[in-house]
Amino acid sequence: MVGIGYRKDFSEEFLNSDILSPAFIEVAPENWLGVGGYWKKQFHQALERYPLFTHGLSLSIGSPDELDFQFLANVKAFLKETGAVLYSEHLSYAKCDNAHLYDLLPIPFTEDAVKHVAERIRKVQDFLEQKIAIEIVSYYTPVAPELTEINFINTILQEADCELLLDVNNVYVNAFNHRYHAKQFIEQLDLNRVRYIHMAGHEQVSDSLIIDTHGEAIIDPVYDLFEHTLELLGRDVPVLLERDFNIPEMEALQAEISRLSAIKENVLKRTAHAIA
Amino acid sequence: MQLLKQTRQYQSDLAGYCRTGILQHIPGIHTSNVVHYRKLVMNVVDDILQNAYPLTYDLLSETEWDSLVADFFSEHSCKSPQVWYMPKELMEYVIDTDHALLKQYPLLCNLLQFEWMETAMFMMQDIPVVHTRNGDLLFSKLVLNPEHRLMALDYPVHRKNPSAIKPEDQQPYYLAAHRDEEGQIIFTELSPALVRVIEHLQERAASIQELYQLIEQDFGIQLAEADHLAIIHFLQQAYREGLIKGFSPA
Repeated sequence: MVGIGYRKDFSEEFLNSDILSPAFIEVAPENWLGVGGYWKKQFHQALERYPLFTHGLSLSIGSPDELDFQFLANVKAFLKETGAVLYSEHLSYAKCDNAHLYDLLPIPFTEDAVKHVAERIRKVQDFLEQKIAIEIVSYYTPVAPELTEINFINTILQEADCELLLDVNNVYVNAFNHRYHAKQFIEQLDLNRVRYIHMAGHEQVSDSLIIDTHGEAIIDPVYDLFEHTLELLGRDVPVLLERDFNIPEMEALQAEISRLSAIKENVLKRTAHAIA
Repeated sequence: MQLLKQTRQYQSDLAGYCRTGILQHIPGIHTSNVVHYRKLVMNVVDDILQNAYPLTYDLLSETEWDSLVADFFSEHSCKSPQVWYMPKELMEYVIDTDHALLKQYPLLCNLLQFEWMETAMFMMQDIPVVHTRNGDLLFSKLVLNPEHRLMALDYPVHRKNPSAIKPEDQQPYYLAAHRDEEGQIIFTELSPALVRVIEHLQERAASIQELYQLIEQDFGIQLAEADHLAIIHFLQQAYREGLIKGFSPA
């Protein structure tokens, strides 16, 4: 199944035509919590047609600040009310010194941060009474690193006993920005924990830097990395197409969804044959 | 294991840089790339605020707007995890800090309040109310749309382009903002007497006859026939536009 990030920007066209046919939709609970009126009606129409996956923005799992349990209680109620299939968040921080930043900042790759973040993920999972999937974020600079990125991520996944949201584009972006091999990086991940995959486009702003914009179409090397990832996984995992800015025509989004579905279908067939 | 003080400090330094543009030494950081974090953060903040305050954005010069956004985000700690609430925090920041721009633009508070009201009303949770559409405006008890707010302003930011508003325009203005069935926000200018009509209907459903009596008590006057007609006219319009939701079921 391949889903789409449900955006207010294309909500009306999406709901009033059958051009775009995702298997599910994904939203950030923050953007819909406590919302009524026009948007609530639109959202409920979407919920009547599609299963919901959720992907949080503001939990700030890597923050030095205390976890916001009031916010988490609101998220929990939202997940229950909407029947959300899963809740995922970012391996980053978006709040510090009691101030929200509304963007995803990289956590220092340090041993104390591993323990701190893993403990917070466990607390969140206990509170929500479900496992959550944590996304590897794209980053443009390391911050006081002591560990390698792969060690940092794998240890957190293990200590938190959480699931992994593997954003294939983010791995591509990070491999480019930090000069490592994307396929090898994915091979070193604990792939048994992959619960969900994100795919998106990006923008290369210089010879040495890519910014993860979600504002462009997915490029061929990221499709290749996606295929490689699916081959390694050898099982069906839900995939999401993220497009947050510079939204194209619905036909263009559907073409990306179709391409992702086709790659997935082919890999799963090949894997099934190999097993048989 | 607690987060080490040093790790905490590095995180605070990076967050602080995104808010203020002042970069402390952080080991291992790529100084040429870290600028993108500030750009990304400030782009989100600026974009959200411009969308929430299009009239304010048009009123201020580019330098004034940029300075306001920079002051706000560096001096104020945004509390809400929901980014769409951030514009409310800008409005509160301007008022609470008595921001320097208020001297040049005395109407700025009103303009921010007016623009935020539209967003807040558009996004607010649904509020159900027991009512029926079967009734008679002249005789039935009227039920107010609970999805409304009253506002008092000193400048006519609801009527005129803010750049055309002059000091002599300063006087009390009263508005009702409500959300109609389609979710659109409608502002209605009110006289002081009509504000009281709405306030009475906030307390409980009432008929026009009851409202006449309440207004007479409030102002210690005897309403003339013209006043009755003005109130009826207002309530008819309020019913058509959804500020009056309907009638109290028998």
